[in-house]
Amino acid sequence: MTLWFILAMMTAAAIFAVLWPLGRARPVRQGSDLDVYRDQLAELERDRQAGLIGAAEYEAARVEVARRLLAAADAGAETVETVAPAPLWRRRLVAVGVFALLPLGAGLLYAALGVPSLPGAPLAARTQTPLAERPIESLVAQVEAHLERHPEDGRGWEVVAPVYLRLGRFEDAVTARLNALRLNGATADREADYGEALVAAANGVVTREARAAFERALARDREHAKARYYLGLAAEQDGRREQAADIWRGLLAAAPENAPWVALVRQSLARLAAEPGAGGTAESGPSADELAAAARLAPEERAAMVRGMVERLAARLRENGSDLEGWRRLIRAYMVLGEREKAQAALADARRAASGEPDKLREINELGRTLGLGDS
Amino acid sequence: MTRKQRRLAVIAAALGVLGLATGLVLGALRDSIVFFNSPTDIVEKEVPPGARIRVGGLVRPGSVQRSEGMQIRFEVTDGNAALPVVYRGLLPDLFREGQGVVAEGALDAGGVFRADTVLAKHDETYMPKEVADALKKQGHWKNDSGSKGAAAEPQGVVR
Amino acid sequence: MIAEIGHYALVLALGLALVQMIVPAWGARTGDAGLMSVAGSTALAQFAFTGTAFAALAWCHLASDFSVANVYENSHSAKPFLYKLTGIWGNHEGSMLLWVLILALFGALVALFSANLPMRLRAHVLAVQGAIAAAFDLFILLTSNPFARLSPAPYEGRDLNPVLQDIGLAVHPPLLYLGYVGFSISFCFAMAALIEGRIDAAWARWVRPWALAAWMFLTLGIAMGSYWAYYELGWGGFWFWDPVENASLMPWLAGTALLHSAVVMEKREALKIWTILLAILAFSLSLIGTFLVRSGVLTSVHTFANDPARGVFILMILVAFIGGAFALYAWRAPALKAGGLFAPISREGALVLNNLFLTAACATVFVGTLYPLALEALTGDKISVGAPFFNATFAPLMVPLLAAIPFGPLLAWKRGDLYAAAQRLLAAFGLALLAVATVFAVEQGGPVLAPFGIGLAVFVMAGAASDIVERAGLLRLPFPTALARAAGLPRSAWGTALAHFGVGVTLLGIVGNTQWSAERIVALKPGETVSLRQYDLTFEGAVPRAGPNYRELAARLTVRRKGEVIGVLEPSKRTFPVRGATTTEAALMTRGASQLYASVGDSEADGSVMLRLYHKPLVLLIWLGALVMVAGGLLSLSDRRLRVGAPKPARARAAAQPAE
Repeated sequence: MTLWFILAMMTAAAIFAVLWPLGRARPVRQGSDLDVYRDQLAELERDRQAGLIGAAEYEAARVEVARRLLAAADAGAETVETVAPAPLWRRRLVAVGVFALLPLGAGLLYAALGVPSLPGAPLAARTQTPLAERPIESLVAQVEAHLERHPEDGRGWEVVAPVYLRLGRFEDAVTARLNALRLNGATADREADYGEALVAAANGVVTREARAAFERALARDREHAKARYYLGLAAEQDGRREQAADIWRGLLAAAPENAPWVALVRQSLARLAAEPGAGGTAESGPSADELAAAARLAPEERAAMVRGMVERLAARLRENGSDLEGWRRLIRAYMVLGEREKAQAALADARRAASGEPDKLREINELGRTLGLGDS
Repeated sequence: MTRKQRRLAVIAAALGVLGLATGLVLGALRDSIVFFNSPTDIVEKEVPPGARIRVGGLVRPGSVQRSEGMQIRFEVTDGNAALPVVYRGLLPDLFREGQGVVAEGALDAGGVFRADTVLAKHDETYMPKEVADALKKQGHWKNDSGSKGAAAEPQGVVR
Repeated sequence: MIAEIGHYALVLALGLALVQMIVPAWGARTGDAGLMSVAGSTALAQFAFTGTAFAALAWCHLASDFSVANVYENSHSAKPFLYKLTGIWGNHEGSMLLWVLILALFGALVALFSANLPMRLRAHVLAVQGAIAAAFDLFILLTSNPFARLSPAPYEGRDLNPVLQDIGLAVHPPLLYLGYVGFSISFCFAMAALIEGRIDAAWARWVRPWALAAWMFLTLGIAMGSYWAYYELGWGGFWFWDPVENASLMPWLAGTALLHSAVVMEKREALKIWTILLAILAFSLSLIGTFLVRSGVLTSVHTFANDPARGVFILMILVAFIGGAFALYAWRAPALKAGGLFAPISREGALVLNNLFLTAACATVFVGTLYPLALEALTGDKISVGAPFFNATFAPLMVPLLAAIPFGPLLAWKRGDLYAAAQRLLAAFGLALLAVATVFAVEQGGPVLAPFGIGLAVFVMAGAASDIVERAGLLRLPFPTALARAAGLPRSAWGTALAHFGVGVTLLGIVGNTQWSAERIVALKPGETVSLRQYDLTFEGAVPRAGPNYRELAARLTVRRKGEVIGVLEPSKRTFPVRGATTTEAALMTRGASQLYASVGDSEADGSVMLRLYHKPLVLLIWLGALVMVAGGLLSLSDRRLRVGAPKPARARAAAQPAE
């Protein structure tokens, strides 16, 4: 309501600014060439009296100005006449026009462009919102602002890392975990958390770097549950299924019954047992859309669908091997399906297809290295 | 001097200065213009060694080598062809692998581009216009080329 | 709510600008005083509403109201207050709003101080001003609205580019805009004169001070921008012939020409038609300057906000105003009465020569800036026109102009005596020769051009001084009398001399810097020493430091001269984690007018750091000279005398120089 009142007042002020001079009856004083020349003559006189110019220069200048003054006086007589009393209808027309059109035009344009209903959100108002009601992003932003000023605050990085993970900002999570590791010193927990972030960033694949992190964690604490779980996953993805099952079974045996991760490990074991060869973490598939579709299917159907997609991709790449992205997806898919040999074969095929292009070749080799598939 | 002569003097002076300016501009346009080329252009047009040109494209990832004496070697690519560039000196802040770059200099007899000036794009969103055009022409334009390529990598590279 | 008030205020300003465009012009056409008088109050109200809009945007920025898209994109709640403030115009939308605010400000000033103008002239001037304001208000509202809102409001903003977080860069756009837009007043007056078909005496009286004020701001803005580029971009150059720099240089050259021809018109009522053309040119080039920067037609290191879609709108505005102005000029200018007569050798003649060279120089810059565009459009070839082109064209045109500077003020109006002027410049010429000889002797085989450049600079400076000496009669009259006369000289005479002196100072700086600067690029390990001219710089080591929103690695260099420590240089590389951006901060050490300049590059694995070191002799004079020029302009502006130029009586030649 206040806003509308203010806008109305502004409109009124604008109209008034136009109408006010129209309403004045008295003639407006105006300057003319004559004034200019009279000023100049007066200045010349002042200068002469102050001794700034000599008599001769004064005289020469005075004559020139006087000549112009006379010429202007002749011409000026005509211009004065044209500013004669004007008919009133023009003013009335302008007054009515402005009174009607200015608010209308301004109102229409503003209605098209403005968002009057949206309140402002200055910082002061936003910081008054209770913490619990603020969106998670805002809290993250706050921590980020803090970290920007104190990048050496290891605790801050540790706080923000799991939030990043939950928000799906995996790359940031990796950075945060790495910073925490660097600033707070290495512990088994931190190494394992770092590895977990790396796995998330690699779409669920336990990369070589991640595996190294988990192994460092285990070196500090032989019983570290998270590190062991992920090493089991690594074994599964490498196709060492028995070893994976062993690791997980060992983990369960040593687990306190109320540990929150027990369910996850049981599930993984069950998957290993129930679907020989078709296990895989849900996040890692050929593409996000297809995966979303796959997630809604029953386990058997899902396995079939994934296989189908992978086969199609493989067939396509056999015909046209120039699609680097395709090879990458295929190799990853085989890894996720636990078919290490096939992945290796696909890698070799990809290398052959890219043999003429050092650029691609390097990327393929890089992929092979990160997935831990043979050194080349 | 008569009125006519005065006017003629002014006009003559004007024409003189104008002629001088035109002459200078034409002379300079012949001698001190630097053509912009993509690596593909250089291969296709067979730019002669020694001619001053500008080359623009992306710094090919993995191609930057620093050697003794502050000499830097890298390759500029437009996705089609790549041109080896040698530069001595300080690189701009935003010189990075996979990012846009413009180098000015000349080819030597061995087909290596000896740059004396290297300009990198000047902020996160800005790509030198010539580079963008050249990449579009080669069909390698991705809106944020460098970062997208990197994000697709299955990597844990953090540094 | 504040944002919406600002938004609506801008809409109302557009409405008022339209009224200001239509009603007074109609009044002037029909001779209706009532309608014409609407111009003044409407211009004031338009300024008030544009000011309200700008204040509202300022409030949104300072209060970090991220429901406004412009604030969200260009600010951050953790940003220092000063950069929140400068962030208002650190982006496209805000800077355009600042542009129209300044335009409205100038309009309001005209409205306030124009009571003694002929009414018709005033009405026409303000109507043209209203038309420009309306076009740009519309442009802002339709294509670059700073009041666009976001819902829900993001919690945090996206910061400002760290390269832009610098006080030099923050201040120079408003100064440039004051210059660019200041020329709109001369433009409006020129348009009014063309529409009316006559040039009033008051017209001449008005144009020069406005052009002078605009010129001063533009000079300051360009100097500041150049200094910013010098210390911030880390290349140690002061002028790059970058399209955006050229865009500000062109109106400056045209404005300088306008300034000088306006003097002729004010004093002698000559060169009227030419002055009108220059007024149109100066503002057209200002518009092109805005256009080049804002549309992204020319991308360059300065272009942070480029959007070709907006370019089309601006292009339409450009075509309408520039094309319209030139069409009107072609149609009406022949009908204008030509002014007074003068001999080729006279003050007028000298100013005409000045104008010729300035416009020719401006044309070369224009060609060099736009030729690549035209060529690309026509043939598809991409070329870059850089410093070599401008050195080959601009510099040769400036040399005769500079050499002629000292002669101008010594020539009398209407008919001058070149021989007598040359005689008075004998001392200055002698000084210049002395400078050339000294430099040759000291330099011993340095660059050949340097001594002559220095000689030219000395000639310009000494010439400006001898102008004052002559007028005061310092050598002929008893000292106290001369002093009294010097004090009594009109301020505009002092202003002229000072401004010309400043040109010499800048030239001295440019010559010293381009001919004698020494550069070394080295990789140093801690403890190593490198010598640059008479200085020895020892690299002590790299020190990591943390700033308010960045981390930096500073290289510490101890500077010694003849074994004595004279200071420390700490160039650094800053990393802004949120933007992932890096900037190079150069370190400067001033020794007299010269500077040592150090910037740091990459650090190597073996602990060595790449450093770029310069010794830049006399470099500070470049910007000092610009300040002196502005001081001269200020002095001249404060002189409100308006006199006709008195021709010197033939017999009185030996007597004292008339004041002006």
